[in-house]
Amino acid sequence: MATMMTTRQQALAPEDAQYLTFTLGGEMFAIGILHIKEILEYGHLTTVPMMPAFIRGVINLRGAVVPVVDLSARFGRPSSEVSRRSCIVIMEVEVDAGVQDVGLLVDAVSAVLEIPASEIEPAPSFGARIRADFISGMAKVNGKFVIVLNVNNVLSVDEMAQLAEAAQ
Amino acid sequence: MSLNLEQALQTFIAEAYELLEEMETCLLQLENNPADLDAIGAIFRAAHTIKGSAGLFGLEPVVSFTHVVEDVLDRLRAGDIAISRTLIALLLECGDHIHYLVDVVAVRAQQPDAAATEREAGLRQRLQLYRQTSVSEAVSTTPGVSAVRQERGSSFDLWHISVRFGTEVLRNGMDPLAFLRYLNSIGQIVRITTLADSLPELSQMDAESCYLGFEIDYQSDASKAAIADAFEFVRDDCQLHILPPHSKTEHYIELIKNLPEQATLLGELLVASGALTLKELEDGLQQQVDAALKPATPLGEILIEQRFVEPELVQAALEKQNQIQEHKSKESRFVRVQADKLDELISLVGELVIAGAGANLLAKTSQDETLYEATSTVTALVEQIRDGALRLRMVPIGDTFNRFQRVVRDVSHELEKQIELQISGADTELDKTVVEKISDPLMHLLRNAMDHGIESPAARLAAGKSATGVLKLNAYHDSGSIVIEIADDGAGLNTERILQKARERGLVAATAQPSEQEIYNLIFEPGFSTASAITSLSGRGVGMDVVKRNITALRGTVDLSSAAGLGTKVRIRLPLTLAIIDGFLVGVGDASYVVPLDMVQECIELADDSKAAAEPRHYINLRGEVLPLVFLHQHFNTGGGQRRRQNVVVVKNADQKAGLVVDELQGEFQTVIKPLGKLFSNLRSISGSTILGNGKVALILDVPSLIQQLAQQQVQPRLALQTPALRN
Repeated sequence: MATMMTTRQQALAPEDAQYLTFTLGGEMFAIGILHIKEILEYGHLTTVPMMPAFIRGVINLRGAVVPVVDLSARFGRPSSEVSRRSCIVIMEVEVDAGVQDVGLLVDAVSAVLEIPASEIEPAPSFGARIRADFISGMAKVNGKFVIVLNVNNVLSVDEMAQLAEAAQ
Repeated sequence: MSLNLEQALQTFIAEAYELLEEMETCLLQLENNPADLDAIGAIFRAAHTIKGSAGLFGLEPVVSFTHVVEDVLDRLRAGDIAISRTLIALLLECGDHIHYLVDVVAVRAQQPDAAATEREAGLRQRLQLYRQTSVSEAVSTTPGVSAVRQERGSSFDLWHISVRFGTEVLRNGMDPLAFLRYLNSIGQIVRITTLADSLPELSQMDAESCYLGFEIDYQSDASKAAIADAFEFVRDDCQLHILPPHSKTEHYIELIKNLPEQATLLGELLVASGALTLKELEDGLQQQVDAALKPATPLGEILIEQRFVEPELVQAALEKQNQIQEHKSKESRFVRVQADKLDELISLVGELVIAGAGANLLAKTSQDETLYEATSTVTALVEQIRDGALRLRMVPIGDTFNRFQRVVRDVSHELEKQIELQISGADTELDKTVVEKISDPLMHLLRNAMDHGIESPAARLAAGKSATGVLKLNAYHDSGSIVIEIADDGAGLNTERILQKARERGLVAATAQPSEQEIYNLIFEPGFSTASAITSLSGRGVGMDVVKRNITALRGTVDLSSAAGLGTKVRIRLPLTLAIIDGFLVGVGDASYVVPLDMVQECIELADDSKAAAEPRHYINLRGEVLPLVFLHQHFNTGGGQRRRQNVVVVKNADQKAGLVVDELQGEFQTVIKPLGKLFSNLRSISGSTILGNGKVALILDVPSLIQQLAQQQVQPRLALQTPALRN
């Protein structure tokens, strides 16, 4: 039991104990804050033609052009409706040669929470209604489960680029 | 100036490579024109500089080998031995070996391996034939005081070098002794006086600072520039004065004035060394004082007036001075700048352009005339700065072209063909980043042309051509791009054989009858090669597809034309720069797109009647020409209603024209290209993005691929549509 605990703690990287929670289609999700660079209010976005629905477009982030992924559409659900509380979470994603900034369109951000590793359960193999490899764990927050996302899989640039090519 | 040893070493490596390249070019020149004395001189200087600099860094293997080569070159320069084909071949090999040594010793800090040592021994043996004696071999490698034994009665025929090292010299990793040792390798230090005057009290002395100066009497046949070059690495950090032998008194006087130490002390020193007599010194100093009182009479004139020297002599001296200055200014025409500093500057200029566009937009909306005028001036200046900054990165393509001379020479020997490389348009400039990336594809194409294109001398004679095949490299600017042509006068492409091979490999369906151009394009397919035998050069089927991929990655295109029996021509079209372009902004729905301005021919309104006519057919009549249209609205599926008034932007790429139907013409715009990143790497018809003055992102249209894509798309549907049409 003790060994199981330690391996799981290592897998979840103990320093990753702080999470940003946000809502998407009424459901709550969490991502480790170490991946997050900043959170922006939804502003002007340029649509890129001939791209799949989950690539919402690009924004100007202080002179750099950053793609924005519609998380809801990425999960295979309808595209997010933009509201007053819509936010773009700028994330750093690993690509083969370094990191790339990618924006994540979410309905609203909630809070930064400290979740101890012991409160995180492994992902169920089915039942969460999103792809299993997108989930890194299920965190218990106030007695409810929050899906902790595996950022590198959700925002896998390689996979998204392939999907984009297929969409053309 | 923060100069450490590592940086200096990097400079040495870069310089050595350049010098070796220059050496190679000159050797090839010599091959064509054996009487070219300038070329011999240049080769000698290159070897000499490499040896000298390598000595500074203690790169013993490089020094000792280069020394042998230099010896031979020196004899060649002096006319003791004659230039011959075998000697040039030998020297080329030596150049390669020096390149290898620099690679191993300086770059990787290793010792040469056994094979290299063996090769070197062979080269040394062959070089030995051209050397008079072998005794002097060890001289350069054992510098020391022992050389200072020949005492001269007077230093009148000696060089006089005054050097004051800056306090930072030691901290920058330079050892003053190394320079003195080096001097001994190109001449002899006859007398040396160490000046420790600036040495402070022991309590205030910083052990890491250098306080020393040297007065050196020096005997050497080297030129002033060569002696000055010895101090190359500390030139910014020291005070250096070099007086040639037989210098006039006033020069010494001037030197004394220029040096920080007390005049009398230096004067005495010079008197002691015999360069001046006491009388000369006093007179000279006195006259300088007198002259200072009179309004600016040049020293030379004073001396003429006093009949100390003949006017002609002064004239000659002045001319000599001018020559030296000219030489100096030529040297300083190039500034070595780190590439990332330049990139930083260019990206900053890019930001400036965006910010400037923003300010301009605000000024326009504020309707304040004076403000608008002011921002317009700023914009114009920013535009100039942008052009200037981009030009910094522009280099002539000639250097890349010339590198191929050697390749052609070697390969033609290997293939036993006679091939001549003709270069034109060498001064055509393009972005350095593009030059670096185009070198490999060009090499592939050249090798291909030599291997497959040009026939053997016997076959050429049989075909009624001259035995020597001609390979032409040409470059020129054409509507915002650079075009590079590689043409050979060989046998041309065999379309039958290509088609047959393609069918064998399943690249083309057995029944399909592709056009001639389509057949040519097949050779750019992966894994395609028609050569029956694989040679060491080409024929493995890697190459042409890599060439195409590399060129496409640079936003360029490649096409090929060929005539059986007459030759093949490959034409590469590349953008001049990868950073900033002049763009033309158009509006489609809510979005803005940038069309590269070089491709825009004209803009016309899509009148209602012609629109009605164009709608089903997708082309209009442009002054008698058929102009195919691209409705960007539909193509990009942007949604939203079409505007009533639409415009057509006529674009031209290579020889293809097309009309882009857009809603709004928004005018010219300086476009700083921002890459879209990997996520969009497969997106055709968009090549990048840019940020507009209002902070919005606009996408840049990739016109060539847009046209190509449409052409491909329409081949199939049109065939399907035409069949019923024929029936009607």
